[in-house]
Amino acid sequence: MSDKIRREKRTGRKIAALIFVFISVFCIVFFAARGRFETPIASTGVGLVISPFQNAISWISSKVDFISTTVNDILNVHEQNEQLKAEVEELRAKNLAASEFEAENQRLKALLGYKEVATQFDLVSARVIGREAATWSSMIVINRGSADGIANDMAVVTEMGLVGHISETGINSSKVQLILDPRSSVGTLVQRPESRVAGIVEGDINNPTMPKMINIPKNSDVIVGDMIVTSGFGGIYPKGLVVGRIKDIQNEESGLLKFGVIETTVNFQKLEDVAIIIQSREAPPAPIQPPAQQ
Amino acid sequence: MKIFAAWAILTSILYVLQTSLFSMFAYNGISANLMLLLTLSVAFLLGHRYGVFMGFSAGLLQDLTSGSFFGCDIFSYMLIGLLCGKFSDHIFKEQFILPVLTSTVVTAMHYFIMVIFIYLLGYHLDLQRNLYLVLIPMLCYQLAFAYPVHKLVFEFNKYVKRWK
Repeated sequence: MSDKIRREKRTGRKIAALIFVFISVFCIVFFAARGRFETPIASTGVGLVISPFQNAISWISSKVDFISTTVNDILNVHEQNEQLKAEVEELRAKNLAASEFEAENQRLKALLGYKEVATQFDLVSARVIGREAATWSSMIVINRGSADGIANDMAVVTEMGLVGHISETGINSSKVQLILDPRSSVGTLVQRPESRVAGIVEGDINNPTMPKMINIPKNSDVIVGDMIVTSGFGGIYPKGLVVGRIKDIQNEESGLLKFGVIETTVNFQKLEDVAIIIQSREAPPAPIQPPAQQ
Repeated sequence: MKIFAAWAILTSILYVLQTSLFSMFAYNGISANLMLLLTLSVAFLLGHRYGVFMGFSAGLLQDLTSGSFFGCDIFSYMLIGLLCGKFSDHIFKEQFILPVLTSTVVTAMHYFIMVIFIYLLGYHLDLQRNLYLVLIPMLCYQLAFAYPVHKLVFEFNKYVKRWK
């Protein structure tokens, strides 16, 4: 009889412990989402152990991908040759137009007396070694960490445009929150000189591949095809980084604002190498020189 | 201890494969969730106690390394480990069809648990569109990988049992 009571007591304790664990985890979700619960040491520790393996598998995967791409290329070499010929012709025409624009640009700059100072970045290249399988957020893991001078909130780019920012730094790896993540928000503006409308680009949980540019006034002149670049507001992303192109414009439910669906210039499905901006310097414009006396 | 270490290594290998190799074959960022399949298989083969523990471990590993909403995966996998483990007490362990078919049910369950968390965290979700965009490819991936993962876990469990 006493054995039965003892067993029942033990089962009761187990159930209570299980319920306690479930409630605790449930609460942790909300504390973590509001930044009140963090696990930096555990996260760094696990990252330190896992990342070398991710690195190795990622390297093997890229080699497999390279071999399959090469075989595919060989099989399609004739078709590619024709395409490349057409592309060369197109690029020649574009090059001619670019030369014209360059000359015009130089003339205009000389006329205004300004010397353009390009924004310069100190970049560290990194390889993508992990990608989260979850669909509710968009994060990648790269093979650079605090040992390489990486710190939180540094902007991550490719030659095509903005990728995201460093959200968590480990010793030899870091997590990058992509601009597709619903928690991400980037201060942006329309690149077109006549427009320059500002807005915020944030990830769309309903469309994991296309972020939205929100807070656009209804009477603004944003049009489909407009190029969106970072505004530099907020301090994380330097000004002028390309985000994408407006693909569609829709009205907000409130009726006062509209939002643009953005087609990113970066192909996030094929993200293999990225660069982290560890320092951005924007040199002050050079003083206007008086014209030379003759 | 040796058995525990062996399970930890298997979990890590599957996680590394999930995040590095399988992400290459992702469709719209969606790929196979091996951690969920591992939790399901362990629960079916070893019962609810080990199912909950594996759910907790796999969820913790995923939440710590992925940087997603912390705790959501732990909660979901634990619940799935518990329910599948309880269910497995009444079935024959050697058969494979039920765990494979259940993979679709638990994937849908995981999806809806996440949807509830997403709503509770204040994000607006177009469920109808999301079902089509996310759930359907997810189910296809899970169904394709359920048998290999369950077979692997089954053989692995048989192997490590000999150490006892």
